[in-house]
Amino acid sequence: MEAELNCAHCHQETLHELVYAGRLLVSTTCSVCNTRVEHETNDLWDIYLKDLPHRIATKPIRMWRSFKRSPSKSFWALPKATFSKPFKMLKEYRNLKKKSD
Amino acid sequence: MGKHDTIADMKSGIKAALVVLAAGSATRFGHSTNKVWLPLSGRRIISRSLINAAKNFKQARIILVINPDDEALAQEVIKREMAGLKIEVVYGGVTRHESEHNALIYLAPAINSGDVEVVLIHDGARPLATPALFVEIADAAHLYGGAIPTIAVDPHEMDMVRSDTVVRVQTPQGFIARQLLEAYTKAATDGFIGTDTAACMEKYFPEVKTVAITADASNVKITYPQDLAIAEHVLAKRGYKD
Repeated sequence: MEAELNCAHCHQETLHELVYAGRLLVSTTCSVCNTRVEHETNDLWDIYLKDLPHRIATKPIRMWRSFKRSPSKSFWALPKATFSKPFKMLKEYRNLKKKSD
Repeated sequence: MGKHDTIADMKSGIKAALVVLAAGSATRFGHSTNKVWLPLSGRRIISRSLINAAKNFKQARIILVINPDDEALAQEVIKREMAGLKIEVVYGGVTRHESEHNALIYLAPAINSGDVEVVLIHDGARPLATPALFVEIADAAHLYGGAIPTIAVDPHEMDMVRSDTVVRVQTPQGFIARQLLEAYTKAATDGFIGTDTAACMEKYFPEVKTVAITADASNVKITYPQDLAIAEHVLAKRGYKD
């Protein structure tokens, strides 16, 4: 994901690449000077692990809202979403792991 | 618990218009890179700004000012994350001032008929302004003519000694609707461009009393990457509410 943010190193608004693990931001990298800003690793794992049960608990209601909004789109997207979820979780884990290594 | 959290969760009956600015022009390869569309703890920054703005009002008009290039994205996000809110989308201009003016032109019939008494203008990149702060600003603007949230700057942060208090101004900024519309109409005629809403009001209605409401430092404007991390922490502390 990309967004324009101010870079403390370049002192200007530049395009940044943002890496997320689930709902949490892992790191941002300035596309001009490559300055990387990261969360504190221990803190991030802690927050991620606290956030995970909240995500799981709210998933049914989020899915229900999605079905209410567009039933057919949600129905056809469900198999792909279900199949890809473990891979998404694995990517989140890898992003966090890569950061802590 | 902050000052604004202690205010009762009563809905304000003030006829307000809540204008949330999100008209930044950053677009690249067909997708928006305006930071207001970034996710923040599972919900877009702009959604958090709008939901907090609208939460404690009974009869507010909610205006989202966007870049025309972001129309499809805005409609998708409104449908997905703000299904319960009636949001009116207005196209912004090149500057913040122009975006504010466009919103006021759009609201002009309601302002002139008295259906909108107070206008609050909020920066969409401030997702942590609490619902209570919006009500407090609206109440004070209704009573005095204008209200802005401020936080005192620590004297140690400044490189000169001053005897008076220096404050940082945040948003939402609220003003009596008719005067605000008149100020922006005059500014358009004069070619005046204010840095914020209060600057335009100060120029054309210096007699209007604008009160400073003590705000919270957690009402950060997402500007630097670090601000996103701060905002995540604040939201986690609030239990992802407000």
